[in-house]
Amino acid sequence: MNLEAIIRDCLDGREGAWKMLVDLYSKKIFNMSYQFAGSFQEAEDLTQDIFIKLHRALSKYDFGKNFTAWFLTLAKNYLIDEYRRTKWEKRQRDDFDEQIASAAAADDPEHGLVGEENRRMLWRGLNDLPNDMRMALILKEIQGKTYEEVAEILGLPVGTVKSRINRGRLQLAKILKDRKENAHGL
Amino acid sequence: MACDKIEELLTAYTDGELGPGERAVVERHLEACPDCAALLASLRAADATLARFPEVEPPADLREKLYAIPARRRFRFGLDVLLRPALQPALAAAAVFLTLFTFYIFSPAKAQINEAISRQFHLGYSQVEKLYAKAGSLTDSLGGFADNVFVSLKKINPLGKNDE
Repeated sequence: MNLEAIIRDCLDGREGAWKMLVDLYSKKIFNMSYQFAGSFQEAEDLTQDIFIKLHRALSKYDFGKNFTAWFLTLAKNYLIDEYRRTKWEKRQRDDFDEQIASAAAADDPEHGLVGEENRRMLWRGLNDLPNDMRMALILKEIQGKTYEEVAEILGLPVGTVKSRINRGRLQLAKILKDRKENAHGL
Repeated sequence: MACDKIEELLTAYTDGELGPGERAVVERHLEACPDCAALLASLRAADATLARFPEVEPPADLREKLYAIPARRRFRFGLDVLLRPALQPALAAAAVFLTLFTFYIFSPAKAQINEAISRQFHLGYSQVEKLYAKAGSLTDSLGGFADNVFVSLKKINPLGKNDE
């Protein structure tokens, strides 16, 4: 069954279609929320809120548009609005805990201490980025979207997105560089 | 070229987006500047780390909660209908009635309340009967009065003639 048919069935109230939509997008939305908010518990609540918003907004979906981009835009707007409303920037991200470490070990069995330490630093460093920059970086560098897809989701010109992502990459690179220099006592 | 200018070009250099001229400038600078070379190495490490950032598995019960959203929203819609402002006076009256009814059901003086209700009922009933009787007698007297009026009218002779 293609995506359009699933959405139409959802609009007709068929429960099976809604479950298919959840199966297709729940992991992606959960990870996006987790990478953005930095808290496992927060990501669970945010994912539920985003799917409730989706259920409410589905009737407004324009079938001429790319559903994934439309849904991710809805998720992005919700995450950034919530971020502004609740001032998450004042909170700490979860520690680079067992959740990530175990997933990392499964994905990359040869990861060494340096790789793990880099991940730990970047995980913390993401919180230091402005929220728009962090969202762009998550979509492009972690979720693997193209610049064009990120621009569509963020509703910005490709040039703006590119410069925002590049500034974010450079900021994270400086965090790693500082750590290495501190480790070598420079 | 100064370090801050090179810094601005580093992401484009890493992505292979610089023209041959700019690329050569950056490479010459990197050979002479260990600080910028270290930043480039960190940029490559950060890019590689982010690209391999692991996806985590959502909590086991999250999917079930997401599946239940349509049913939860239908239930909520039902509640919203019940809580419409227009229904509030009726709900308030129902709440008062239920409170009084509960008080009556669980009151230890239920027998006395029943007796008082019965007394009030009979008092009310006898009042209604009295009113009904009064209304009947009033109707009778009004009927008698009307008859008298008709008889008197018949007896009036506007021309002064006596029929008898």
